[in-house]
Amino acid sequence: MKETAQRRELVAWVAREIMPHEPSVRAWLAQRVTSPADTDELIQEAYCKISELQSIDHIDRPDGYFFQVVRNLLRSQMRRARVVRFELIAEIEERAGSDPAPSPERQANDSREMQRIYRLIEQLPERCRQIFTLRKLEGLPQREIAMRMNVTETIVENEGARGLRLILEGLREQGEALAADYESRRGRNRKSGSPL
Amino acid sequence: MNDPGSNKSRAANEIEAVATSWVMRRDHGVNSEGEQAFAQWLAADTRHRGAYLQAEAAFMLAAGGDLAPSSATDAPPIADDDKNDEKIVPRLSRRSMLAEAAGAAAILALVMAFWPSGDRYETALGEIRRVPLADGSVAAINTESAITVDLREESRSVNLKKGEAFFQVAHDPVRPFTVAAGEVRVRAVGTAFGVRRYAEGSEIVVSEGAVEAWSKNAAGNRIRLKAGERTFVSVLPTKADTKPALAETAAAVPAIDRALAWREGKIELAGESLAYAVAQFNRYNDRKIVLGNKAVGQERFYGIFRTDDPEGFAQAVQSSLGVGVTYPTAKAIRIGE
Repeated sequence: MKETAQRRELVAWVAREIMPHEPSVRAWLAQRVTSPADTDELIQEAYCKISELQSIDHIDRPDGYFFQVVRNLLRSQMRRARVVRFELIAEIEERAGSDPAPSPERQANDSREMQRIYRLIEQLPERCRQIFTLRKLEGLPQREIAMRMNVTETIVENEGARGLRLILEGLREQGEALAADYESRRGRNRKSGSPL
Repeated sequence: MNDPGSNKSRAANEIEAVATSWVMRRDHGVNSEGEQAFAQWLAADTRHRGAYLQAEAAFMLAAGGDLAPSSATDAPPIADDDKNDEKIVPRLSRRSMLAEAAGAAAILALVMAFWPSGDRYETALGEIRRVPLADGSVAAINTESAITVDLREESRSVNLKKGEAFFQVAHDPVRPFTVAAGEVRVRAVGTAFGVRRYAEGSEIVVSEGAVEAWSKNAAGNRIRLKAGERTFVSVLPTKADTKPALAETAAAVPAIDRALAWREGKIELAGESLAYAVAQFNRYNDRKIVLGNKAVGQERFYGIFRTDDPEGFAQAVQSSLGVGVTYPTAKAIRIGE
């Protein structure tokens, strides 16, 4: 693993600039692959690629970059095996998530995506939230959190892990909800005969 | 929710479960063995690395504090109360990393670039290098490691930037020889010892004489190690009011010799687990060994191998334990199904 400071910087960047877009990327993927498992796999592979970044300075548009990584992975997966519906190959070639320069609308969208993540954290079970709050606001190590909450250190560790799992699960569900939303809109458009 | 009938989908959840518990375990603090197990898990699959980054980012969002790139940071600890550490390159504290500012990072990079850091020696993957120092001491530098050396009239300072190194220190009572590995310090007068740096502390192995070791954040809490002893100095937690964990373990001399066998380009195993042995080989070689299942990793193994001969090791495992070995690509060796 990289030098700690560099890794921290990368993780903070991913938390701030990449992860909020995960539901949108998932929804985009869900329309192009055959199963939710394929989406999961490609998302994990994409994060792996991102974890290998030596520098993030050259990335002006993290959301566009995230889409690009996923699209490239999808394309090379297609070359290896026909896991994607054939008619979608051309569609994948179109540039996804690539609007022009940041606009007020785009910034509003970014902050909405950030809000979505924070809402997930707010909705965590009470004990998970308490652990994260003590860790964050008071900077307590797990050992002291355990003392403060009068539970074992193992419980703090396990409950923390459960909280993190629920956040990742929540992002997956948000992606699925968005995909369903796209799908229903697409259906309506088809019925009314308007272009996509 | 996910399609419950899909194996792949379940696998994603399972990977996330492991990744999130590693994040919490490492935040809690793990020893060198745990860190090795973690490194092995991480190396085993690209999806593990992806899920781990997701879990880390989720942790930072939920419990990591300020994410903003333009927030204030703690001042980097450039000045040190310890005189011998004056020349050590400033390093961000754990807390300041959490709130790392892009601007401050750029300035720090500049400071680091021009900070007089003495001679630098670096090794590539698989390289083991022996460097004679001007004071008569000798440094042996293990695979993928880096040190800087700063010899002065009143002090001798080495900074272990990453990896592992062994020092045969020339006796000089007026010029103490100090190795800095992150926040961990090891001081010797005339002795021989090895230091391996991990993210959350350093392992120290003494083969001759004695050394003193401490964490910079708790300089009053020092530990003395004699020949044949090893310890792990943890730098977690880093809060000033909590003492760093100092665990002293006396090891038999043969164990110390085995731990330092890398200086001869060898890996010596005397009943260590296969998982441990594999992690050792993977430190030195581009061609990584992968364990097919957990059970194989628990097997105990004996033998002396060359660090650059993972194939020889795999063959020995195959013939003595009777487990299958395959070579799926030029970059991989798979032991067990």
